[in-house]
Amino acid sequence: MGTKWIGLIIRLLIVVFLQVVICKRINLDYGILSFAHIFIYPVWIMIAPTKIPRPLLITIAFFIGLFVDMFYDSPGVHAAASVFSAYARSMILRFLEPDIGYDTDHPFNLNKVGILWFISYCGVFLLAHLFFYYSVEAFSFVFFYEIIMSTIISLLFSVFIMLIFILLSNPKY
Amino acid sequence: MRNLLILIAKYGSTLLFLFLELVCFFLIINFNKSQGEIFLHSANLLSGKVNQQTQKISDFLRLEAENDSLLTENARLLETIINFRIHDQENNFEAFENKDSLAIYKFIPARICNKTTHLRNNYITLCSGKNDSIIEGMGVISNTGIVGIVNNVTDNYAQAITILHSQSRISAALKSSQYHGTLIWEGSEANKLSLITLPKYAEISVGDTIVTSGYSTVFPAGVPVGKVLNYSIDGGGDNYKVEVELFNNLNKLSYVYVINFPEKEEKEQVEISDGN
Repeated sequence: MGTKWIGLIIRLLIVVFLQVVICKRINLDYGILSFAHIFIYPVWIMIAPTKIPRPLLITIAFFIGLFVDMFYDSPGVHAAASVFSAYARSMILRFLEPDIGYDTDHPFNLNKVGILWFISYCGVFLLAHLFFYYSVEAFSFVFFYEIIMSTIISLLFSVFIMLIFILLSNPKY
Repeated sequence: MRNLLILIAKYGSTLLFLFLELVCFFLIINFNKSQGEIFLHSANLLSGKVNQQTQKISDFLRLEAENDSLLTENARLLETIINFRIHDQENNFEAFENKDSLAIYKFIPARICNKTTHLRNNYITLCSGKNDSIIEGMGVISNTGIVGIVNNVTDNYAQAITILHSQSRISAALKSSQYHGTLIWEGSEANKLSLITLPKYAEISVGDTIVTSGYSTVFPAGVPVGKVLNYSIDGGGDNYKVEVELFNNLNKLSYVYVINFPEKEEKEQVEISDGN
């Protein structure tokens, strides 16, 4: 039990570190790709154990977002998106529930749920996160084109990076 | 209390979510320059719009009171100007604004209740009467020219003969040379009067301004009436007959000022005793 929690915390530190040190610097200044920003920290909220109570997950997400915001110099923007996606997570899970239901002990085990389910879960979750993030960042739907473009392009890159992260870290819960 | 706990247990995460989002938005608006500006701008747009609309409504509701106060103010200004004009030896405008004793003419604002302009003899009815200290024989002017003379007063209403009346006789003069004559209406058009008995040695040209002469007790001197449209020698050959185009349009008037001349009786008395 204890090692599980330690693993979770280490994973959290790793994603946040990757986000603020590496992903923040990735800036593809090439035409349409300039809209792309890599998001990796939402993956922790995404595959956090379903045993974590929802209010606790929302609170943790708030602090993760706030921490990332410290490095992005945008107090509240990442936090708002994280809180939103943490809140929306259970709804997304309900929406994407397979016919056989979730494995209560290992809901995010790649071997059980299959790669396609995982990609769609990743996509929907990130879509919610990114759309909320870019809306809050622009803060006005006057910039609708920029919001949509940023969301779609960042989504493609981020899902890819997240899948790589999950395959490498291979969470056991 | 128990209900509250149940509520928290049931909607706890939603409440927490909303609370944390509020915190986030607070942070965003206060510590992010561009978002803060957008928020402020949008908030101003919204509040500005709302304020503007409520202001419009309240303005509309207060329109009548506003109108009345403007009318009073106008009457006061006009009073000051006219008294100033006839008192030009003391060339200090502010003195006339403040000293009532210098005001020979007093102005009473009034609203027009009813009027005709298309008949041979036209009258207007004012919504003020004896209660507003209007009495018979007072002159009625608007801010653009003369209107008529009060001929009948009740407690709350007053009727005035307009200048568009077959019996109206008003002493008027050329502004430039002070030669004077009598203004009559020949019943042709609502904006044209005739100035008769103007001596033919008076210097006159088309476009000259006609003002009241101030010789009667009704109108103060120098109230603009109209301008010369054309002129010709009268049938008798001694006088000009001048066609005058009025400055004011009686059809469009809705507010007028009644002139109170407290020294009127004194002036009339001296004229009667003189044998006039």
